[in-house]
Amino acid sequence: MRTFADAKIGDTLGPLEVFISKDQCRRYARSGGMDAPRFTDDEGARKEGLPGMILPGNMSLGLLCKFVTDWLGPEGGAKLQRIGTTYRVPVQPDHTITFHGFITHATPEDRTVEIDVWIENEDAERLVTGTATVQFPK
Amino acid sequence: MVDFDPSLINHIFEETDPVKVSAEDIEKFCEALGESNPIYNDEQAAKKGPYGELVAPPSFAVSFRNGRHFFEHIPRFGQRGFDAGKDVEFVRPVRAGDEITLTSYVKEIYEKTGRSGSMVFVVIRSTLRNQNREVVAHVDHRFMNRP
Repeated sequence: MRTFADAKIGDTLGPLEVFISKDQCRRYARSGGMDAPRFTDDEGARKEGLPGMILPGNMSLGLLCKFVTDWLGPEGGAKLQRIGTTYRVPVQPDHTITFHGFITHATPEDRTVEIDVWIENEDAERLVTGTATVQFPK
Repeated sequence: MVDFDPSLINHIFEETDPVKVSAEDIEKFCEALGESNPIYNDEQAAKKGPYGELVAPPSFAVSFRNGRHFFEHIPRFGQRGFDAGKDVEFVRPVRAGDEITLTSYVKEIYEKTGRSGSMVFVVIRSTLRNQNREVVAHVDHRFMNRP
């Protein structure tokens, strides 16, 4: 359980390494009705000028949300209030990606915490960047 | 500069038919994301969680589709844009049994020049409401294209 008092500016989340398989990428894409070749098939993705299959942006966003809510834990009442993401470089499955977070603001008046979050590839290149806001119970 | 009809901004193009969310949809979504937090599938754990009941993970809110026919109204933008990013405000959770409707409009159109040249961004805001007309989430979809 994470409380507002636990969250200090400068604290980090992760790094957390996660291997995303092509199957998981396809499953996510199909569960959201996004069965475009770029999300399901290497050959089809190459025809679109991509290096191979890529993760849907929504999946990167979902994984970043999960990264933050896992850090909060199931109890304690804190909620994810906002997330903003920028997709800088396509995220490819069949690779290990690393999740990072850094607390940039903690506002006692409304008990919110702002966290810079990002996903890196094996070369420490930032593929997806974002900011999450968490609301702790008042 | 991007040429577009200024009346496009704030014009609501679409209100979708309600989509009913089943417990199975949520389960599949959790499985695909690798979600293991018990507040999404264990009633007892959910009672102690932030929502006090079983809910879908917050990012389930971005899985509702809205039409891409917006782009027909923005001639210089082409038929589709690349997904450049999203800004999501989670207002209320989605629960199994909810019926979700999306209302979408063009919030902003702007141009940026980067190292690789000129890029046009279109921001489409979708507001999700449940069957009680309560706002569930605001999702700003940022699409990018090169004119």
